[in-house]
Amino acid sequence: MDVKKIREDFPALQQKIHGKPLIYFDSSCMSLRPKQVIDAMNEYYEKFPACAGRSIHTLSQKVDEEYRKAREVVAKFIGAKAEEIIFTRNTTEGINLIANSLGLKSGDAVVTSDIEHNSNLLPWQMLAKKGVKHKIVFSKDMQFDESNFRKTMDSSVKLVSFVHTSNLSGYTFPAEKIAKIAHDNSSLVMFDCAQSVPHKQIDVHKLGADFIAFSGHKMLGPSGMGVLYGKKELLEEMSPFLLGGDTVANSTYETHELLKPPEKFEAGLQNYAGAIGLAAAVKYLEKVGMKEIEKHEEELNEIITEGISSIRGLKIIGPQPAKLRGGIISFNIEGLNPHDIAMMLDSTASIAIRSGAHCVHSWFNANNLPRGSARASLYLYNTEEEAKIFIDKLREISNTLR
Amino acid sequence: MVICIIALVVFSIMGLFSAKYRALAVEAFDCTFRTLTFRPCRTNLQDRIKMKVTSKLAGRFPSMAKAFYKNFKIFSWLFVIIFFGSMLYTAYTVYNLAVYGTCDPSSPSTCTIKQATSFLGCGLETLFIYITIAALSILLFFLLYKYIKLK
Repeated sequence: MDVKKIREDFPALQQKIHGKPLIYFDSSCMSLRPKQVIDAMNEYYEKFPACAGRSIHTLSQKVDEEYRKAREVVAKFIGAKAEEIIFTRNTTEGINLIANSLGLKSGDAVVTSDIEHNSNLLPWQMLAKKGVKHKIVFSKDMQFDESNFRKTMDSSVKLVSFVHTSNLSGYTFPAEKIAKIAHDNSSLVMFDCAQSVPHKQIDVHKLGADFIAFSGHKMLGPSGMGVLYGKKELLEEMSPFLLGGDTVANSTYETHELLKPPEKFEAGLQNYAGAIGLAAAVKYLEKVGMKEIEKHEEELNEIITEGISSIRGLKIIGPQPAKLRGGIISFNIEGLNPHDIAMMLDSTASIAIRSGAHCVHSWFNANNLPRGSARASLYLYNTEEEAKIFIDKLREISNTLR
Repeated sequence: MVICIIALVVFSIMGLFSAKYRALAVEAFDCTFRTLTFRPCRTNLQDRIKMKVTSKLAGRFPSMAKAFYKNFKIFSWLFVIIFFGSMLYTAYTVYNLAVYGTCDPSSPSTCTIKQATSFLGCGLETLFIYITIAALSILLFFLLYKYIKLK
């Protein structure tokens, strides 16, 4: 993997911020885009900016073809069939679609982990108002606690909805094990794969998932573009969450005839440029190699973890071995506000990291950390040199301000 | 946080010339209002000011940056006291100029403003008129510049 060559593809990395080269360590929030993705989207807007599935003119046919190809590319990337891929706006929409379409009734239960992004927490809290029970499996040392999980499972559990890789700690839950236990209990399984699909090779069949949701903007793709995978037979049984144009084959004043999945779940004019851009992003990732990307992030995490561990008062959130945290380093320094750390890194060294609750307010509140944490998140375009600058600057800030 | 009071005045004046500062002035107003009604600020404006100054100092004077960061509340109060002290002293000077024709009635010769009017060969009222015209011209220039730029 030639990182130097990869970096040349990213226009955002060619600029200087505050007079210094940008060090982008916030890819868990939003990844940067290579010019291949930008070009693919521009091509749609410049050459065939029409709608698919409605008109029959040449431009429309072209969009139809590109949109279909995009679905196939994404499906192949996660080992699914094209008709099992629903294009959404993001992971949040995918999870909300399941929450509203699965037909959960009062008395049914949904199980989540204790470290869920608000996207995989609030939809269940809303359903809880209608009588659906929301059960939380608490982790042990911020890792999956199998016995706790088994104790939570009973006949009322209709869905297990777990984060796959935590955006807070970087820890990856053992999806296969979770899916097996859930299926043995006759429950369905969904994984929030927003932080795993961009960084690991994912095969939905190996995971054993019934549904997974992920976002394009975290995997070099455009924002406003996401994916929900669902097993074909389950999607066929489910009712759509949104209805309208492109979801029906025919309608009268009183009735309508729905199309088959995935179309019945994609109401209204779709984000064609987004889908085409996402396909370009998938091709880019495949070309580099997902295993290579995962290895690269782990190596950088090792360097950073080792380098910052000697900073006095620094505590890493999550499992201590870097290998268990993928490309995420979430930390606090005693006596320093995480926002201050982020602002200092930005203004003194142009290092972009995230600070705050990372949309996992529930965990921070439960652990009495109202200010959240600072988080550095890595991707394929980050280098060893950047990691070393980050370590030095963080140490300098800690020494200066404490 | 008391630093918002200074921010409100500074950003309100700068907001006359640039929309960028108007949003900051609104933020500062909200923070000032909440501070005066003994409630915590809803924005992190004070933190941004604190870190902006700290990061500027950190590059050249790390020990000063540390002192500023650690004692930001004390520095904020100090700035506010100096700010209001200067305002009161300015008001007192203007009052003296208007009533007695000199900024310091006990020692008129030390009044530099009075000396300036003598140097320019004009009266105090004329100097005020000149200053007002100059301020209005600058304001007009900025507005025109902005208008032309927007066009």
